[in-house]
Amino acid sequence: MGPPPVVTGISPKEGPPGTRVTIRGEFLGTSVTDLIGLKICGCDCLLSAEWKSKNKIVARSGPCKGRGDIIVTTRSGGEGTSTVQFRGYHESIGPVKESAVWVEEAAPPSLPWGRRPMSPTTYIPPDPLGLSTEGDDCKFPEEELHEMFPDGSGKLSDDNFQPGWYLLEHHSNTSFEDLKAGMVFLQRKVESQKEGQLSFLKANTGAVMDQLDRLVLLKNMYEEDERKNGKEPLPSLQAAIEESITLADSLFSEILSRKDNADKTREALSLLTRHKFLFQLPASIDRNIRKKEYDLVVNDYTRVKNLFGNTDVKLFQKILGEIDKKIEDLKEKLYNRMKTMPINVQEQIKYIRLLISLNWEGDAAWVAINSRKDYLMSLMNKVKDHFKQKEEQEFSDKNKRKLKEAESEASAVRGAWCAAACGALSAQLHALWPLARRYFAGELAGEPTDHQRQAQLKEMIIAAVELFSDHMRTCLLSGTGSKNLPIDALRVRLVANLRHMREAYEELIKLDLPSQPLSIVEKVIFDYRVYGMTMFLQRAHKRVKGLAEKETWKIEEFTDYGAITNLPHLLETYTEEALSAIHKCVSGGGRREGVLLAEGGEPARAAIKLTQGLLLAYVAVLQDLALHLDDTQEFNNNNLSVALEQRIEEGASNSRSWQQRLLLAGTNAHYTRRVTLTNISEAFHNYGFPAPTEAIQATKEALSTLESTIAETYLEHKGDPLVGTIETSMDMGRHKTDADAVIDDARPYVYEIINNLIAVHAEVDGVCGAASSRYVRLICETVCEELARLAACAPGAELVAPQAAFQARLEHTLLHVATAEHLTRKAENYLMEALSTIPPLENEEEKKRMDSIVEGFKKRMELQLASLNCNMETV
Amino acid sequence: MLETPNPSTNPRNLYTWCACLVSPAKMSKKPAAQPTLHKVIMVGSGGVGKSALTLQFMYDEFVEDYEPTKADSYRKKVVLDGEEVQIDILDTAGQEDYAAIRDNYFRSGEGFLCVFSITEPESFDATQEFREQILRVKNDENIPFLLVGNKSDLADKRRVPLDTCRERAQHWQVPYVETSAKTRDNVDKVFFDLMREIRSRKSDDSRATNGDVKKKKGKKMKCSIL
Ligand SMILES: Nc1nc2c(ncn2[C@@H]2O[C@H](COP(=O)(O)OP(=O)(O)OP(=O)(O)O)[C@@H](O)[C@H]2O)c(=O)[nH]1
Ligand SMILES: [Mg+2]
Repeated sequence: MGPPPVVTGISPKEGPPGTRVTIRGEFLGTSVTDLIGLKICGCDCLLSAEWKSKNKIVARSGPCKGRGDIIVTTRSGGEGTSTVQFRGYHESIGPVKESAVWVEEAAPPSLPWGRRPMSPTTYIPPDPLGLSTEGDDCKFPEEELHEMFPDGSGKLSDDNFQPGWYLLEHHSNTSFEDLKAGMVFLQRKVESQKEGQLSFLKANTGAVMDQLDRLVLLKNMYEEDERKNGKEPLPSLQAAIEESITLADSLFSEILSRKDNADKTREALSLLTRHKFLFQLPASIDRNIRKKEYDLVVNDYTRVKNLFGNTDVKLFQKILGEIDKKIEDLKEKLYNRMKTMPINVQEQIKYIRLLISLNWEGDAAWVAINSRKDYLMSLMNKVKDHFKQKEEQEFSDKNKRKLKEAESEASAVRGAWCAAACGALSAQLHALWPLARRYFAGELAGEPTDHQRQAQLKEMIIAAVELFSDHMRTCLLSGTGSKNLPIDALRVRLVANLRHMREAYEELIKLDLPSQPLSIVEKVIFDYRVYGMTMFLQRAHKRVKGLAEKETWKIEEFTDYGAITNLPHLLETYTEEALSAIHKCVSGGGRREGVLLAEGGEPARAAIKLTQGLLLAYVAVLQDLALHLDDTQEFNNNNLSVALEQRIEEGASNSRSWQQRLLLAGTNAHYTRRVTLTNISEAFHNYGFPAPTEAIQATKEALSTLESTIAETYLEHKGDPLVGTIETSMDMGRHKTDADAVIDDARPYVYEIINNLIAVHAEVDGVCGAASSRYVRLICETVCEELARLAACAPGAELVAPQAAFQARLEHTLLHVATAEHLTRKAENYLMEALSTIPPLENEEEKKRMDSIVEGFKKRMELQLASLNCNMETV
Repeated sequence: MLETPNPSTNPRNLYTWCACLVSPAKMSKKPAAQPTLHKVIMVGSGGVGKSALTLQFMYDEFVEDYEPTKADSYRKKVVLDGEEVQIDILDTAGQEDYAAIRDNYFRSGEGFLCVFSITEPESFDATQEFREQILRVKNDENIPFLLVGNKSDLADKRRVPLDTCRERAQHWQVPYVETSAKTRDNVDKVFFDLMREIRSRKSDDSRATNGDVKKKKGKKMKCSIL
């Protein structure tokens, strides 16, 4: 227990009830709650007490009068003491005095000095001195009076009345003269009291008479009353009273019932206001739904569920039912909205969230994912149908237009289809995949943990991508139409389509889709690239095929391999163009795409195969050109002069003779084999494509064969007639041969042969240049073969004659000399064979003669031999 | 002056109470154990710091807010030169509104602290009136009295020169002390000095009472009636 409270200060020290006093001291409590009692002059003032600190309390004084201690009681220190006192007084209230009314709730406390309690209605007797009392303002301090008259009282009626007190209290400021006058007044009063009853009556005669009059009046009135109401007025009074009681009762009960009703109404009203929220909710839900403020609806709904979810009140349950129904409708609505495509994914997620917060029992997000996927599928199909239809329209319109135009339109349609499908795929997956991701991240409730879901999603995506890929294949790879499209348009279209697909692909990569669907898309793109490549090569092929028409037989160039037309160059250009288009358009791979022409890969093989086809087509073209026998043109089989006359550069190229064409084709083939193919091969290399070795090899072989065929054909048409003439010429000469004549020259057929050879050489050389030797050699060979044959079938008897033998040997030698440069081993063999049938020369003389003749021949024929041997390849 | 009244109607006559007036000390019925009580009264114009000085002395606290006083009462035990005494402080109103009730209060005072603010010449001027009122009520030239110049901490706002103050104190033959309720400068001093004066007056009085009572009696009586 701490020290008891001590009050040592009071401010102010006096005042009327309700004065705000500041109480100071020590140990006035350690906290607000420690203060448990406060009495000022015995009045409990705890209610108004404000505990400020352990040294200070502020309170209001109670309805006390007089002096008293201020007793503070604390829990910690018990009841306290006070060194100062408060004096309460009641202010006399006048019209000009400010006042506050203090309602007395407790019985007035006994005054500290009082012997007995004051009666509540204090009768203040008039001043005994007949003087007006002074105002309260200049009061004589009461404590001094107490000190001066410890046992006294200032009240006239008290036993211990002290006149001194009374005078000081009421007349401390009254002048002495006034007091004296008062004294006289008092004395007179006392004297008059002494005179007795008579004097009293005398003094009050008027009043007594008045009283008598009143009594008579009263009596008269009473009698009149009795006359009027009889002796017994009570029953009628009773009846009246009873009647009034019943009336009062009925009035009262009526009022009561009315009050009841009023109470009920009031209660209902207060209920309404208190649960305004609930009652207004159905309407506000409708309003918010109309305004699409779904969040508000959800909030309100959860709130109402929390507040009234477990209510037993029928009315509330009814409203709740109504609200529930609205919410169900809303859910249905939201659900349908969420499902209805197209919808942007944010909105969809918003709806899903709302459904979740409204406790939708389904797996909203999963439904959303499914509906998105279905939408994507149907969208793709729709796109397909739309464009198919459009395309058909284009073609059905073709009566009006040319096919070509229709085709270009169709290709444009397909391009649009491709673009639309790509856009649809990327846009929808762009929405679907993040949605699914959030779903599986558990953000959208439902049952993402169901392990089938993952697999299902994967299937969905793959299905979608596969559908896309199927459509794109139909759209782009199943080529109707584009065959006749100009190459440039085709290229533009191809690049555009490729770009669309790549953009979509890029989007999907960005989405971080799994690799399986990505690969499916990549495959389409890849296939389309292959398709493009094929297209380009096929186009080139087609052009190559058309080269036959392009052949003008105009000589473009004299090369090391002879004169060529522009066919080899065209071939090179076409191939080059195709390759460059491939390189530009399809070979370059985008992000996460395979190399188109990987070494040994399928497309590379296809490319090589196509190239081969193309090159072989070229060979075929050449062959066609070379071997196509024009009936109107005779194979020029005439003599040297004809051959020489026809200047090769001259004349219209279409008037080129057949054998010239043949030869030109040959040189073209040869040139192609040696130069163009190498260039093409190089071009492949330059574009970084795998070397088309097989194709080149095959073509080379084909070309070689062609060359041989050409050579053979040439021989057939040129050599056969030439050889055919030998026998007849020989026979013609034999007629003239004289058995005895000295043989000093060969017979004319030898010269004819030589002349013919020169003609052939000239013709071939004109076209083939250095390569002409092939043809000359072949002809020589046939000639030699013929000679050998003739020698073999000549009757040996004839040659036994030395002249004839000499002749034959001479002729063979001269031929050998003339054609020495063109003789193949085979030809040489033939000549040897022919010589072997001729008996050898008999003596040296003969030999010398032969030699001199040969020398003579060489000298004579120098010009001819030179022309035969010029421009020769060495074998 | 008055004729003898009838004792039956008036148990005591006016003379009786006049006689009673002469020995007020006799009537104090306080327990003997209570230490001597010195009654101090704070006088001075409104806002000069009477309450501030009192609260500083009583409770060591300084109140910044100005709340006009009506009449406050404080009492506590202090040790004055080794003797335990009680000091009773009556903090009166400086505001003119309450001037009417002053007289009654002054009557009970044994010593006075007449306070003015050195920042406020009007309050210094007012001390003159207070002095006169006290002398009139107490009818005693030698009543214990200190002239107190408060708010000495506000030296920079000083508007009553020190010399003027000293001059007036000298003229009244009272001590002059400057205080600051804010810094507690000289606060204890003024109260203790005043109590010492009261104490010495009381011992003088008791000696005088023992010697010649009648002389005093007459003087007092006259005053009361007037
Ligand atoms: N700076 C300073 N301010 C003081 C000092 N004494 C009092 N004050 C301030 O002066 C103002 C008045 O002080 P009070 O003590 O309430 O004045 P009072 O003399 O009691 O005034 P009444 O009760 O109206 O007679 C208050 O705001 C005090 O804070 C002092 O010594 N120095
Ligand atoms: Mg004050």
